[in-house]
Amino acid sequence: MINHHPKLNLLIQHVNGELPASISAGIKIHSDMCKQCSEQIAELTKHEAKLSFSQTNVDDAEFGFDVDALINDITQTQPEPEVIPDNKPVAVTFRGVTYKLPNVMKHMELGKPAQIGKLSRSRILLDEGHIHSSLLRIEAGGGIPEHTHNGYEITLLLEGNFKDDMGEYVPGDFIVLDGNHQHQPVSEQGCLCYTVVSDSLHFTQGINKLLNPIGSFIY
Amino acid sequence: MQVVQSNVTNKFTGSVINSMASDTQHTDICLWLDAVATSRDKAAFTQLFHFFAPKILHISQSKLFDKSLANEVVQETMTNVWKKAHLFNSTKGAPTTWVFTIMRNVTFDILRKLQSNKEDNLSEDIWPMIEDQAIEDEPFSDHIEQKNILAVIDKLPKNQQEVIQAYYFMEMSQEQLAQHLDLPLGTVKSRLRLALSKLKEHLGEKE
Ligand SMILES: [Zn+2]
Repeated sequence: MINHHPKLNLLIQHVNGELPASISAGIKIHSDMCKQCSEQIAELTKHEAKLSFSQTNVDDAEFGFDVDALINDITQTQPEPEVIPDNKPVAVTFRGVTYKLPNVMKHMELGKPAQIGKLSRSRILLDEGHIHSSLLRIEAGGGIPEHTHNGYEITLLLEGNFKDDMGEYVPGDFIVLDGNHQHQPVSEQGCLCYTVVSDSLHFTQGINKLLNPIGSFIY
Repeated sequence: MQVVQSNVTNKFTGSVINSMASDTQHTDICLWLDAVATSRDKAAFTQLFHFFAPKILHISQSKLFDKSLANEVVQETMTNVWKKAHLFNSTKGAPTTWVFTIMRNVTFDILRKLQSNKEDNLSEDIWPMIEDQAIEDEPFSDHIEQKNILAVIDKLPKNQQEVIQAYYFMEMSQEQLAQHLDLPLGTVKSRLRLALSKLKEHLGEKE
């Protein structure tokens, strides 16, 4: 059962379109797998919509265009044909293993897969500055050395499972970690994750400083 | 669900009261949207424009801090309202939610284009208009499965179907409903009660 959900705060920002695309996409992936959150999102949307359109003192609106001309223009355009959403599955392949990807990723461009040991990664080319998003695959028996985060790290488990000292995770879990957390995820059977990281990772154990390349690899 | 509702209400207590005012507009907005959808009615669209556009401008200005971008959001949103009116389904959600969704998506794509120089219009993938409508607003989801509901509603007498749909799916108040159907309030109330108890009966619900 999914145990980790986005916090209410995050959902409100999501509903208002105030989050980076990478995070909102993560919430969409989660809510497609979590009835509870998709209902919350629907409820919040309804609520925010009511708030938005119940303002009363907007009579002084000064448009930067000629209202009548715009209405004329708009009402001459053709209605949009009812398009059936194109849900042909998108997929990614790491070392011969192909994973189906969530629908929300269908227009996201992926970078070339790269490998270090049991880790494979494909960057998701969203172009969001210091926020980096990736697909991260851990092969069976693989893991990530203990690390902390300067910023935040959001992990959405898409397939398989992994665990750290805080517990086990299942597909759909929306896991947020920040600088207060240290963890060392390992995956017994292997897994695929969607990750959003706001800053490079810092390895906390002496010997693992040698692993700095992994830090920038995962970021 | 209850929990979210009360959290949010606490957070915005002041505005919740204001939102009551928009309820009275609700029926009109539904009728205008319907007129645009079915007969491409310019007068109805003009009404929608005057209701929504000033509010959209106001919201966008406070969000984008830029007058010309805010105007772009208004134009783009209202154009979509015109073009997509026939895709709005009043049994699946409130019209304000639908317009809000369009506005939010338009704003998101404009901001993303500015910040990341990407024209990938991801909003449609993150908040699909069609699919989201389907999960949205399950008034009975607490205790009755949505998928059964529609089938059961079809079995009700026509006049009961009418009140149930307007009351639960379009979120009209009983007073609005009475006005809309030109019936005494008492009749609306008793039809609703009857329809609801029939629904429960059909669905095997116990009181
Ligand atoms: Zn959830």
